[in-house]
Amino acid sequence: MYLGLKEMRHEKLRYSLLSGVLLLISLVVFMLAGLANGLSNGNREAIDNWQASDVYLNQNANETLSASQVKLADQKYIKGNQVAPLATLSGTLRTTKNAHKTNVSALATSRKGFIMPKITSGHRINGKNQLIISASLKADGYKLGQRVRLGTTKKTAKIVGIYASSTYMIAPTVYTDVATLNRLKDMPVTSGDQQTINGFVAKNGAFKQSNHGGLQHLTMATFINKLPGYSAEQLTLNTMIYFLFAIALAIIGIFMFVLTLQKQALFGVLKVQGIGTKHILAALLTQSIAMAVIGIVIGLGITVSLAQIMPAGLPFVINWPQFGGYSLALLAAAVIGALLSWRTVANIDPAIAIG
Amino acid sequence: MTAVLALKQINKEFGHGHTAVTALKDANFEVAAGQFVAIIGPSGSGKSTFLTIAAGLQTPTSGQVLLNGTELATQTEKARLDYRFNEIGFILQSSNLIPFLNVTEQLKLVDKMAKRPFQKERAQKLLAELALSEEATAYPNELSGGERQRVAIVRALYNDPSVILADEPTASLDTPRSIDVVERLAKEAHQHNKAIVMVTHDQRLISHCDVVYRIEDGVMTRQA
Ligand SMILES: Nc1ncnc2c1ncn2[C@@H]1O[C@H](COP(=O)(O)OP(=O)(O)OP(=O)(O)O)[C@@H](O)[C@H]1O
Ligand SMILES: [Mg+2]
Repeated sequence: MYLGLKEMRHEKLRYSLLSGVLLLISLVVFMLAGLANGLSNGNREAIDNWQASDVYLNQNANETLSASQVKLADQKYIKGNQVAPLATLSGTLRTTKNAHKTNVSALATSRKGFIMPKITSGHRINGKNQLIISASLKADGYKLGQRVRLGTTKKTAKIVGIYASSTYMIAPTVYTDVATLNRLKDMPVTSGDQQTINGFVAKNGAFKQSNHGGLQHLTMATFINKLPGYSAEQLTLNTMIYFLFAIALAIIGIFMFVLTLQKQALFGVLKVQGIGTKHILAALLTQSIAMAVIGIVIGLGITVSLAQIMPAGLPFVINWPQFGGYSLALLAAAVIGALLSWRTVANIDPAIAIG
Repeated sequence: MTAVLALKQINKEFGHGHTAVTALKDANFEVAAGQFVAIIGPSGSGKSTFLTIAAGLQTPTSGQVLLNGTELATQTEKARLDYRFNEIGFILQSSNLIPFLNVTEQLKLVDKMAKRPFQKERAQKLLAELALSEEATAYPNELSGGERQRVAIVRALYNDPSVILADEPTASLDTPRSIDVVERLAKEAHQHNKAIVMVTHDQRLISHCDVVYRIEDGVMTRQA
C-alpha cells in the first residue's frame, strides 16, 4: 500500500497516463453497454411492460411473431392466470391530412387484456375504432381526439388515450383492440373468434391438453431472442465489451510488466532489505487497482453526463447493476494484469542489487 | 566474546565442469557485537559473494552460516527473509535508497513493513547523529553521494539489526567523505554495540577497523 501509493504520487505523469488509458477503455465499455441497453430496450420495452412469461405462436412461424397466424378461437387450447391475444402491425401512423407521419408498432389485444397499458390521460378503449398511443407520440404532435390512419388503408380510428412511453422493435407503440386493428388492416374478418391474430401471451400459461391445435409454446426469453435482429445486435455489442475487458487486462499486464522489468534493480534493493515478493506484488496491485478505480469512476461520471445530453433519437439506458458488474470486471482485469508480473517479481535475485 | 555472525568452512562455486569458478575457498570468519571488521581484497576476489552468503542472499556450496548460533541453511525462505529484515542492515555500494521516498519515508517504510508505528524520535536522533537533520524531507536525487551513503547507514541502523553488512560504502565518495563515513560506522559499532562488516579495497580506511580480513582469489585470511 504505502510503497505503491508513494510511488504513484512521485510519478504522477506515468500513472495518470495509464489511468487515462483505463478511463478511455471504461468509457467505451459504458457507452457501448448504454447503447446496447438502449437498443435492447427499444426492441423489448413493450414486452417487458407486459410482465408475461409465455408466448404462443403458430408452430410453423419459426418462432417469429409477425410470421405467425392463428385464430382468436385458438385461445381455448391455453390455460393460465392471464391469457391475452396479440396482433401486431409495423406501419405508419398518419393523421388524416398526413400532417404527421410516424413509423409505429401497432399492438392489438382484447380491450381488457392484461397487456393493455395503463392510461395516463384520456380514457381506455371502450368502443369501436379507438386506439391509444405512447406518450412519445404526443411529443410528435399527435393529440387526443385526433382521427388517424395506420398503414396504407383509408380506414381511420380515433386516439382516445395516452400511456407512458413504450417501444417495440425500435418504434413507439400504439395499442388497439383486435377488431379495430383488423379493420385498419382491411382484413376480411373483423369480428368474432375467427379473426386472424399473431399469437397469445400469458402469465404462467400452459396447454390444456396434448392437442395444441397447431400452437407452439415459447418462453418470453426465447421469444425476445427471436425478435428480428435482436440477438445479432446484442451479441455484436456484448462481444465488443468482452474484448475491451481483455484489452484492459492486456494493457495493465503489459504496462506493469514493463515497469517491473525497469524496476528490477529497485526490487532487488527491496529484497536485500528483507522486503519480499509479497510486499512488492502488493504495491503493484495497489497501483493497478488505484488506477483502475480512478479510470472507472471518471469513466462512469463522463458516461452519466453524456447520457444527459444524448439526443432523444439515440437510445441510451444506464443499467446500474450491469454497470456495477462491468466496473468489477474492469477491476478484475486490472488485478489479473498486475498478477501477470508475479513470476518476474518472484524471480528477481536480490544479488543483482549488490553487483 | 561470542560471535554474532560466524561463517565456517564456506566454499562457493559458480558453474561446474571446466567453466567452474571458485569464488570462496574454505573461508572462516567471525564478528562479535561492538566490532568493526573490514574485508579487503582486489576486484573479483570474492568479497561481494562473501557478503551475500552472510546475508542469506545466496547459499554456499558447502559450509555453515551461523547467526547468533542458528544455522541459516536450516531455515525456510520466509525465515531467511525475516532474518534479513530484522537482523541485518545492508549498505550497498550505491542505489540503496528508494527513489520515490524522501529520507524520513525511507525509515517509515521500515516501520510499515514491521507493522509498527513510525518511531519519530529514533528517526530524528539517528538523522542528527549522521548530520542529516536538514535533509529529513529530501528525496534521494536531491542528496549528494555522501549524504545518500549516510542515509543508507541510518536506514540500516534504524531497524536495530544485530549485524550491518556494508559493500564498499565509500566507493562513490572522495577521500575526506570516505573517512567521514567510516568514522561514523566505527562510532556506531562501538557506541551501539553493533557488529559491522565493511568490504572495501581502500587501504587507507582500514585503520579505523578493529579486525581486518584479507581476501585473495577466494582465500580469506585474518590479519593480526
Ligand atoms: N552469479 C555468478 N555467476 C558466476 N560467477 C560469479 C557470480 N558471482 C560472482 N562470480 C564470480 O565469483 C568471483 C568473485 O566475485 P565477487 O563479486 O564476489 O567479487 P568482488 O570481490 O566483490 O569484486 P569487486 O571488488 O569487483 O566487487 C568472480 O570471479 C566472479 O566472476
Ligand atoms: Mg563486489
